[in-house]
Amino acid sequence: MRRSCMGKVLILSVFLMAWLVLGWAGESRAEVLLRVAISSADVGQLDPHLTSKTPDVALLQWMFNGLVRFKPGSMDPRTIEPDLAEKWTSSPDGKVWTFQLRKGVKFHGDYGELTAEDVVFSLQRAMNPKTSAFTSDFAEVKTIEAVNPYTVKITLTDPVPFFLGLVSNYHAGMIVSKKAVEKMGDKFITNPIGTGPFMFEEYKAKQYVSCVAHKQYFRGAPKIDKIIYRYIPSTSSRELAFRSGEIDLFYGDRDQRWIERMRGYKDTIVDVFGPGEHRDLHLNMTIKPFDDVRVRRAVAHAINRDEMVQFLGKDVAEPAWSIVPNGYLGQTTEGIPKYEYNPEKAKALLKEAGYPGGFSTKVMITNIEALMKPMQIIQEQLRKVGIQIELEVMEHATWHAQIRKNLSAMVLYGAARFPVADEYLNQFYHSRSIVGTPKAVTNFSHTKAADKEIDDARTETNQKKQLELWKSAQQKIMTECAAIPVFELKQVWGRRAGFDYGNVLEGSLNLGPVVDEKSRFK
Amino acid sequence: MIKFVCNRFLLSIPTLLAVLTIVFLIARVIPGDPAAVILGDSASQEALENLRHRLGLDQSLTQQYIQFVTGVFRGNLGDSLVSGTSVMREVLNVLPYTIDLTLAGILIGIVFGVPLGILTALYRNSFLDFIARILSLLGLSFPAFYSAILLILVFALQLGWFPVISSADLSDPVQRLHHLILPACNLGLIMVAYVTRATRSSMLDVLREDYMRTAKAKGIPVMVILFRHALRNAIIPIITVVGLYIGVLVGNSVLTEIVFSRPGLGKLIIGALNQRDYTMLQGLMVVYSLIIVITNLITDLTYGFSDPRVKYS
Repeated sequence: MRRSCMGKVLILSVFLMAWLVLGWAGESRAEVLLRVAISSADVGQLDPHLTSKTPDVALLQWMFNGLVRFKPGSMDPRTIEPDLAEKWTSSPDGKVWTFQLRKGVKFHGDYGELTAEDVVFSLQRAMNPKTSAFTSDFAEVKTIEAVNPYTVKITLTDPVPFFLGLVSNYHAGMIVSKKAVEKMGDKFITNPIGTGPFMFEEYKAKQYVSCVAHKQYFRGAPKIDKIIYRYIPSTSSRELAFRSGEIDLFYGDRDQRWIERMRGYKDTIVDVFGPGEHRDLHLNMTIKPFDDVRVRRAVAHAINRDEMVQFLGKDVAEPAWSIVPNGYLGQTTEGIPKYEYNPEKAKALLKEAGYPGGFSTKVMITNIEALMKPMQIIQEQLRKVGIQIELEVMEHATWHAQIRKNLSAMVLYGAARFPVADEYLNQFYHSRSIVGTPKAVTNFSHTKAADKEIDDARTETNQKKQLELWKSAQQKIMTECAAIPVFELKQVWGRRAGFDYGNVLEGSLNLGPVVDEKSRFK
Repeated sequence: MIKFVCNRFLLSIPTLLAVLTIVFLIARVIPGDPAAVILGDSASQEALENLRHRLGLDQSLTQQYIQFVTGVFRGNLGDSLVSGTSVMREVLNVLPYTIDLTLAGILIGIVFGVPLGILTALYRNSFLDFIARILSLLGLSFPAFYSAILLILVFALQLGWFPVISSADLSDPVQRLHHLILPACNLGLIMVAYVTRATRSSMLDVLREDYMRTAKAKGIPVMVILFRHALRNAIIPIITVVGLYIGVLVGNSVLTEIVFSRPGLGKLIIGALNQRDYTMLQGLMVVYSLIIVITNLITDLTYGFSDPRVKYS
């Protein structure tokens, strides 16, 4: 009896020792590993043609390429450079585009070399509503053909405002392997195959996606051997894991105090970069009293952007004065009505509209802090001019469904889109995008003020005229005051000082830093 | 006894069916569209409708319901709407983590809670009793995510003994244990509090009994009185509390799972809810209900083992 007890103690102590030794041994690492943490609880869809959500696109950009790409670290359309296509030409009327593909580009695994056939297949897949969420982007595409194994010709019915954007390394422009999609069918989303610097290795539900270096990447083998992309929804857990050395790069908190605190830690860099997510307050003109332009303007004059930016933080937030986000091609504030903060004027307008004592209205808002906090500030600011907002806070997916049924008089909505005025104007301010209609996207205000300008600008080949049309569209919508631009909120990521992206991070359309063959640990 | 077990299982079928129906309906009554969650906010209406069709969400409610229930009785929980993987496989993937965490939490609860409960009952109204009672009250009212962060700050960040991300590789038993300790302590804290309070009150009742005085008068050693006479009589309410809270722990572990970035059933449920993953949610509820049924059964059977007076008929 006694002996067996001793035995147990012995076994237990050996076990403990082994655990301690192995625990430390596990810390040393031979391969160059980049450990990333993102804010969602799980992957959405690992198919570039199906997802537009931050956690997915930030990862997919490391696995896929487009025909052209934004210069790494930039989101300026003027920096577009060759990616899978070496060079391209367009016909004078802008309707025929011919791309010469780079030779010797290899897909991940044993899916062979990229040819024109893959490009044609991929773009057609992105046009097909059964396999893509971005079909509306391709409305003007007539044909996509492979002229020879390294030449692709795309013919349009009408010119498109910024056609190269459609075939860039963003959303539908990502090129997938034809063989892989045909072989795997629905399972492609659990095993995506592209040409990018990193290839998918493994997915563990609710835990992580791992990628390994694509040694045959056409720009050269990556210096990082493996990436572990972890899903850690709690901000404090991501921060703690970073501070304990278990994470190298992570999605931060878009809050000034947080940024300043993180910058105080050693070995830590906080990157604040574009795109800013634009936040507009959309006023539903079918709900009284917002059918009256004086009321809408009163709301606009009651909003104090300086106070808002001060609260959100000077590094992450900047005021917005146009309904098109700052920096987008076609965005302008010149000659556009500017509703400065002026509570007296707001009160006067309300009085004129027949609401001398103000009024009260019901507004729905998501429980996601990035939208809820600013809405609460707006609620306070409007209270000062007599507008009482009854805020109904709800879970995020519920809110998305409710605001599309015209159930909220005001909708504070945030988005980042392709940085050309057209897409934003189309989705938020064209009458065909009005919520509740068959082609609905996100026109919450029911404005129809600038349909003609938006449509004409789309097909205008003369860029000067096109910019004029976009300007006029912004003027009309702002005069009508269908939506009030409030502020923009930038992206915030934290990383180890020793980790170098290999590019200067100023902006990323895919909403996360570009990690590629140049990224390394110093 | 076998008859008893079979009966209990048969009786649980109507309960299960009721739970399934309620979950099925509630999931669909909450506004929010799985297709919209999957495709994001710039997806066209056309793409949304296509996806709804592919997921079978455009079928009538009755059709969906019949499919779901027949599937369950065939042992097929269906595929997740969002990831397309089999719900059963996802559940089986995380189940070991949940079982580890729950059992470890219970174990910590019993190992620390029972002796503490006995001591506080014995030395009632003493200094020790007050301290233990205050601590257990704290344990009960302390939010799990807060205690989890405190544990991480001290033992992971300051001392560096444990990882912050506690999602171990299950095939490595050493790592599995290493990653379990902090989350288990966090969950165990609540359990210790519950068990201490249950043990204390149950022991106090028994200690007042006449046979206790008799035993003492006969000169039986204190230890024997405590463990053979008092504890055995006081054990039933303790088992009840432990059994009840196994179910609670499986669900409540979600906060612990989130802070420690640990896979588990609780986290799976929250994820499925946020993404409106109906099939996943339904499947999880089936599994969850089964766990409750089984733990209740085990609890009932344990009564018999610990108290010969209990008969199953």
